[in-house]
Amino acid sequence: MFEYLELAIDSAVNSGAKYSDARILISKSRNIAAKNGEVENYNESEKIGIGIRALVGSSWGFYSTYDLSKPSLINAGIKAFQIAKASSMVSGDDLPFADVPVVEDSYTTPHDENPFSTSSTDQVDLLLRSTEQMKKLGSSRASGRLDFWDTEKWFASSQGHKIYQNIIESGGGISSLAVGDGETQIRSYPQSFGEYRTGGWEVIKSFEFENHTERLAEESQRLLVAPQCPEGTMDLILEGSQLALQIHESVGHAIELDRILGWEAAYAGTSHLELKKLNQHKYGSELMNIVADATLPGALATFKYDDEGTPAQRVDIVKEGIWTGVLSGRDSAAVAGVKPGGMVRADGFGRLPMVRMTNVGLLPGTSSLDEIIQSTENGVYMETNRSWSIDDLRLNFQFGCEVGWLVKNGKIIDMVKNPTYTGITPQFWGNMDMLAGEEEWVFWGTPNCGKGQPSQVGHTGHPASPARFKDTRIGVRG
Amino acid sequence: MKIWDDLLEEVKKNLPDEIECELKLMHSKSALTRFANSQIHQNVDEESAEIYLTIHKDSKTTTISNNLTAIKDVGEFVNKALVSLEDSPIDKGWSGLPDKSNSYEGFKDLEESTPDDRAKVVKEFIDEGKSMNAAGYCSTYINNYFVWNSNGLNSCDSSSSAFIDGIFRTDTSAGSSHRGGQTLASLEGTAAGFEAAKLATDSQNPIDIDPGNYEVVLGHEAVSTILVFLEVYGFNAKSKIDGMSPIIVGEQQFDEKISLVDTPEDQDSIGFKIDASGSKKLNLDVVNNGVPQSYFHTRRTANELGMKNTFHELFGWGENFGGIGTNVKLLNGDKSFEDMISDVKKGIYINEFWYCRVLDPITQVVTGLNRNGSFLVENGKITKPVGRLRFTQSFISALANGNVESVGNHSRYADSEFGEGILSVPKLHLKEFNFTGGVSG
Repeated sequence: MFEYLELAIDSAVNSGAKYSDARILISKSRNIAAKNGEVENYNESEKIGIGIRALVGSSWGFYSTYDLSKPSLINAGIKAFQIAKASSMVSGDDLPFADVPVVEDSYTTPHDENPFSTSSTDQVDLLLRSTEQMKKLGSSRASGRLDFWDTEKWFASSQGHKIYQNIIESGGGISSLAVGDGETQIRSYPQSFGEYRTGGWEVIKSFEFENHTERLAEESQRLLVAPQCPEGTMDLILEGSQLALQIHESVGHAIELDRILGWEAAYAGTSHLELKKLNQHKYGSELMNIVADATLPGALATFKYDDEGTPAQRVDIVKEGIWTGVLSGRDSAAVAGVKPGGMVRADGFGRLPMVRMTNVGLLPGTSSLDEIIQSTENGVYMETNRSWSIDDLRLNFQFGCEVGWLVKNGKIIDMVKNPTYTGITPQFWGNMDMLAGEEEWVFWGTPNCGKGQPSQVGHTGHPASPARFKDTRIGVRG
Repeated sequence: MKIWDDLLEEVKKNLPDEIECELKLMHSKSALTRFANSQIHQNVDEESAEIYLTIHKDSKTTTISNNLTAIKDVGEFVNKALVSLEDSPIDKGWSGLPDKSNSYEGFKDLEESTPDDRAKVVKEFIDEGKSMNAAGYCSTYINNYFVWNSNGLNSCDSSSSAFIDGIFRTDTSAGSSHRGGQTLASLEGTAAGFEAAKLATDSQNPIDIDPGNYEVVLGHEAVSTILVFLEVYGFNAKSKIDGMSPIIVGEQQFDEKISLVDTPEDQDSIGFKIDASGSKKLNLDVVNNGVPQSYFHTRRTANELGMKNTFHELFGWGENFGGIGTNVKLLNGDKSFEDMISDVKKGIYINEFWYCRVLDPITQVVTGLNRNGSFLVENGKITKPVGRLRFTQSFISALANGNVESVGNHSRYADSEFGEGILSVPKLHLKEFNFTGGVSG
């Protein structure tokens, strides 16, 4: 494949590009969805193609095609250059581009059982059994899904990179929906929309769906008759997967350097963070230590090189509550004067690589969920995301969860439905006063992060353990 | 198109007898020129060819999809589907294949735009606010869709579309606008830029106001977002099957000023004249004077609910998404924007919503924020720009009987939370809208 890439890259450079790189991908996916003991969707897909980008002046030009014939590859390089060149009608200063080590290397996601070699019948049966069981236990709609991706990626650049990576990702989940009189309630496992990691079929087996069907069916129906979540300002305790999404939305997106630089202003938005306040801005309490780590074995956003050939790395983002780092690529890092973080990835061969969260996680504390509950006089413990909304600066947010548990004088006393909470990012994180430890630290994965135009779906990781936030506004309803 | 003709011939050769089969090819050329900080910084162009093969036999169904390059040998591709079929469970929802009477022939060789053409539209937009920071995109699409099935259907169609969408920013404000059409030439880059620049200029130094119930006038994008949520979560027959749809056909759920139609047959509609099954789409009354008339159906949802198919199957989304109208129009009323504003005693004009999410599908309570131009309206006049507000509001109640004061007399294609080119809407004046939070949370 590297000779194909070189043909296209040489064509772009010979046309006049200052720099060019290209990726050929073979992307396989298997997606299975089941409902009420029957298959709702089964699809296997394979796509092959090349995406090439060329840097000319202040703009990237990018062209992608499924056609890997020699004339097409040469044409792809020329087109990438011409597209970039056309930007000169509305251009700016030349875009700088940071150097990274030029390497020839390869990497494959460590895994026990390739999910594409595993029997699809076993995979389908797992979903049929789980959803049938929940349906029998009274679910109005018992759903389950499994998704597997096997991506082979060849990357080369005009600087001499030659990198092959084979990334294997597996994930899925089950949920029970209960329909009542003018309302619906849902419980999901391992988290809403499923849990996703790098690895093979063993990832799914570790979830043990069968041990959770009864609880999901029972809780979803019990929620229909549960009291509403109280309204007011009180302590909020977040379960790990909800905290993972809180990190994703109010930290992960805010620290993307392309957003901070205004490159995503029209669509994804910008950020409340200003580069001049790096290493000074107080993001949260001293318990808040956030790292972006693309090297965590098994986490969803783990790889060896990003889509610009920069090595995967661990970057401190927030240390003891102070903002210290950003998510960057070779161009954005050069503009901002920071070291490239190896955080640029693309959704398939047909998309321009862009800054993407890696495994942006909250390092564990020293407490435990039990201790947090025992030390809470008046609060609500919320589990599993149901809705999420945050403004374009990543400041004003409102989240809804599937279930809340009323905590009084150190004990859970009741289930409550429709729990929501709202806040402003720095104040909220500033109120984090208890954080569970390593035993409850889970590598939560988000497989559906939307960003970019044309739209791209990113796979991001968010290690987190449960935590408590004092004085939070809870129970917002329409 | 040669790649389709070759593929179809090979698939037919390799298909065993007495098997139901559906073959689809989507060939697309899409391009998008993106600008930020008032310069073009990303410029992309893509050609794709995706193939879906569905086969059904002995009550079992399977679908496999590859792009053209991933099909090294058509015989192997068909064989892979046959092997997968053997391992598949019984498919109780199989609803058959449309017959040849549903065929449609609309393939055209459409001309691509160039990066220079798109840069010109971008420049027109940016030039309207030279002192401000501009960001957005100009995109063009050419799609060719082919469907053949073993029941005699053989359909094809081509469509083109183009969009300009952007914002201007100052230190304290932003304003946005959007235009869509079938061709790049039909876009009004200058008009869109002028609108966005005026909103950004006028909304500088906004004041904070207390949350609460306010009368609102909603811009095209805000209206489009309300309707697309009702489409996806309400009128989608899949939601009805799952017990999550708030829509009750035949009941006066909305204000009588609300009439919604889906118009794929209209000449100015963007997109294909056929749905993903290859069947010709038909115009449909969705809401008539506030009364829902129909859900959006696919073959499967129509079969499961025992209702008539409305041909709203989407390409590439799989069977578990359901049906969505992609040529939806909210019918105009008789009020100009100026008259709408003059009717407001104390309220807010909102140009666009942002990051809306459903709290409960069956009540359609949604939370989100305002963005890119919001103003306080007092005694019939826009008086001050207002800052960020969070709403938590049922979209069903927002359009309920008695809550729609008036409907605007001018429509245009508007962007929405679920995409562009699918809704053409006027502005709306609503009696009450519930804001639950301000800048301080």
